[in-house]
Amino acid sequence: MEQLLSRPEIQSAVAPFVIALVAYLGLRKITATAWLWALLVAFLASAALINGLIVNPLTGTRKIILLITASFIPAALLHWVLRSENLQRRFTTIISQVALLWVFWAVLGRMDSAAMVLFLAGSISLVLVSEHSFVRIIDKPAQLHGAGFSLLLGVGLSATAAASALLGQIALALAAASGGALLGWVLSGSVSRPQTRQSIAVLPYLMASSLLGIAAVMFARLPWYALIPLTSIPFAVSLVPQKSSSRFVNALLASLPGLVIALGVAYYVWHTGSSGSGY
Amino acid sequence: MKKLFILAALAILPVKAVIGADYTVDPGHTYVSFAISHLGFSTMRGKFNEQSGSLQFDPAAKRASVMIEIEAASIDTGHAKRDAHLQSPDFLNAAENPTITFKSTSATWNGDKPATVTGDLTLLGVSKPVTLTITSMKCGPNPFSKKETCGFDATGSIKRTDFGITYGAPAIGEVLDLQIEFEAVKN
Repeated sequence: MEQLLSRPEIQSAVAPFVIALVAYLGLRKITATAWLWALLVAFLASAALINGLIVNPLTGTRKIILLITASFIPAALLHWVLRSENLQRRFTTIISQVALLWVFWAVLGRMDSAAMVLFLAGSISLVLVSEHSFVRIIDKPAQLHGAGFSLLLGVGLSATAAASALLGQIALALAAASGGALLGWVLSGSVSRPQTRQSIAVLPYLMASSLLGIAAVMFARLPWYALIPLTSIPFAVSLVPQKSSSRFVNALLASLPGLVIALGVAYYVWHTGSSGSGY
Repeated sequence: MKKLFILAALAILPVKAVIGADYTVDPGHTYVSFAISHLGFSTMRGKFNEQSGSLQFDPAAKRASVMIEIEAASIDTGHAKRDAHLQSPDFLNAAENPTITFKSTSATWNGDKPATVTGDLTLLGVSKPVTLTITSMKCGPNPFSKKETCGFDATGSIKRTDFGITYGAPAIGEVLDLQIEFEAVKN
């Protein structure tokens, strides 16, 4: 069993997918934020298998795991406090930028001022664009999970190809969990409660995709420009109309554009990147 | 009052003067290399290309201490893609932990030559004691530069998982054999 659980494909694909699917199906009638709790449980299980719940020394990658885990709490609960969508969006923006600084502070401190300004401008823009795109689809489950799945799949595969299996595995784990939640939504037939616009709920997807993407650039060898098409995934997904009465068709349509972009970027990075030919 | 004055004077002295850094490591004649099992098939070797350090060495007083700083990003296994992977968070996490340091804490002597040097190796922010065995040592004037020079060859081993480098273990060997050769020139 231990040997089975140490396999990367179990840690970052099978386990989070199955856990998220089961958790979503189990929780969907209890809470409208079932998908968030399902993703949290799946991600926590996966992170424990990948990283062993170790926080010392507190590396950038471990900070990212902590931040992704912690982001589910305000995402699921804080809409009770921050009732206006504007407030939720401001909170999401501020918390994402603070997270960014916390994770990359040590590396930023060694940069010259021009590189630091460039990094901050790029990173802040990336977070703002991602947030804006995700908020557009927050109340459309097929698009939201389709975008989350494709974006994190793209980040995960690209990070792995850019020479960091660890960052790649974390992103892929959340991608698999999104896939599980999406399948749960497809299988569950009807929505238990009306979906409301809770912009703050985008926080886990936003935090995971931006922090892992930037970390793959900073800590591994992901070309920075690979983040541009990846960041466009939620926006591309939002353009696909959701007119079919079939949830399966809607989920498929919502995932396709993101998958094409994600696999294209991953292939490019694999082809030109650090670990392309194996060794 | 006199004692206080002396203590205050000592406190403002440059740290280097207090420690007495007798020798400076010569990067051109310093080699930090390692060997590790590659999936059990063969032994993979690599080295670091950039390092610096200092040595305090006084055989008469049986005093020897060494500090070596290695640039993690200078790892070189003769394969660029593998080196990039070794610099990533899977292994050395060089962006966040740019230096690997060894600071000796004690030494044993065999006559007037050091036999072993024990110190703290800090890798990925984790410090663990490591003992290096001195296999060869010579001090004397360098015939070309005429400067007093000491050279040492040392070997040791570490378990990489002790430092949190768990990627691929145990298929990719856990024990890393170290070989360090360095020369230091008297200041």
